[in-house]
Amino acid sequence: MSRARAPRRGAEVVLAALFAAPLLVLVVQAFADQWRAPAIVPTDFGTRGFASAFAQGNAAEALLNSTSIALLTTALALIIGWPAARALGSERARRPAVIVLVALPLLIPPFATGTGLAEWFIRLGIADTIHGVALAHLTAVLPYVVLILALGFTDAVSELEDVARTFGAGVAQRLALVTVPSIAASLATAALLAFLVSWAQYGTTLAVGGGLPTLPVTLLPYIRTDAQVAAALSLLMIGPAVLVLGVALRRGRGTL
Amino acid sequence: MLLTRDWLRQGALLAPATLALVVLFGAAFTGALRQSFDPTLLGGPPTLAAWRATLTDESFHDAALFTLQVTAMATVSSALLALTLAWYLRRTGTLARMFASSPVPVPHVLITVVAVAWLAPGGLADRLLGGLPVDLVRDANGLGITLVYAYKEGPFLLLLLLMVMGRQVADREEMAAVLGGSRWRQFRHVVWPSVRLPLVLGSIVVAAFVLGSFEVPLAVGPTYPDTLSTYALDATQIDLTAGRARAAVALILAAAASVALALVCLRIARRWRV
Repeated sequence: MSRARAPRRGAEVVLAALFAAPLLVLVVQAFADQWRAPAIVPTDFGTRGFASAFAQGNAAEALLNSTSIALLTTALALIIGWPAARALGSERARRPAVIVLVALPLLIPPFATGTGLAEWFIRLGIADTIHGVALAHLTAVLPYVVLILALGFTDAVSELEDVARTFGAGVAQRLALVTVPSIAASLATAALLAFLVSWAQYGTTLAVGGGLPTLPVTLLPYIRTDAQVAAALSLLMIGPAVLVLGVALRRGRGTL
Repeated sequence: MLLTRDWLRQGALLAPATLALVVLFGAAFTGALRQSFDPTLLGGPPTLAAWRATLTDESFHDAALFTLQVTAMATVSSALLALTLAWYLRRTGTLARMFASSPVPVPHVLITVVAVAWLAPGGLADRLLGGLPVDLVRDANGLGITLVYAYKEGPFLLLLLLMVMGRQVADREEMAAVLGGSRWRQFRHVVWPSVRLPLVLGSIVVAAFVLGSFEVPLAVGPTYPDTLSTYALDATQIDLTAGRARAAVALILAAAASVALALVCLRIARRWRV
């Protein structure tokens, strides 16, 4: 039985690998200085893509802007979303109307939201600024943060907090020693997703911060004009995302 | 009294996030409406000029139809792909699941870089197969866009399906097999009732995303027809003042279509909730 199962398992892994394999082209293309048809593999390897991305493509500025915006958006979303997640974590507050209100933004096209916000942001003087773009990204990020963080705030967490209170733990002690460790997995996932959603935003950024280079906005025009630069910028974009994923997974493992 | 205090506490906790969303989306909605009725944004009397110009524009009609076509094709093919993969991979280990879901965390803009490298004329698929039978990049039927979305969103839906196809479903499947149920009947009566709700809810998110996003159509879509989002982007680039108003009209309609679609699907899904 297990022998018959083994080839099938192998076939399943091969089928699944067909989805991962095409992504490897990003790594090859980023270092392919010469790769013209009909060559199946590059004929010359080098770092021209990265050099061009940094020399002409504002890669350093885009990287800094994207990182600042994603970190600010994540921090804002966690601070604003925490109390709502806490309420939604308890059964009594889980009313459909609230859930719909929180989830509805996921249905509105980001470019539509950005275009509507752009008018106000220009008047307020925050269009094309880190703060403005982070605020606009909040529309896409906050729903995910609230819904995921809410999964961590179970009744067991409230009970543990009550026990800590009974033993005389203050607010800060309860937060540091009970609440945060108890919801570490949800917190890490919510923070990770917040960072990645903001990091990958294109439509909203273009609408409210088109003049502020971020990685996705800088990258897109290169897809048609210089595939190697596009691939090099892609690796820059995927690198911190993988790093954040690794940190979040390590943090998540420490949960109670 | 206790109940009121509890409600007040819950309300206070929910307030910051709901207020932030109401203010931001309220501002976005009023901003878009204002732009659509007052193209110059100088506070003159409201005009329907942008609505009239957009709604009578033939390229807008084509963009709307193309958007609906691409949304339907991309959503259905992603859902079918996810369902097929879930059926074959439902008993696999972590490695296969990790491979199959690898496109999920990769941003759309990066998936388009991968798509162009593989599917463009002279691209890797062309070189390996000695020519593709159909044009997949810049084709007017949206096949390339559909393929890219299926590759990106199919694994996303797969993850949702695998989450609900756990031990319980496997046990019921085994029971059905012992009772002599064919593979089709096992799927029809055991697997399908378990997966249809997450499949529909996930498909709503996919459809809403495809309706409004424009990274993929910009990179692999045809120059004509546009999608609603690329139509809006083009409008702002052709004429900054009147174009912004027309972009606002197109995007308000795209957002309305997205919400309407979600409401229809939710009505269907509600009937399935056990």
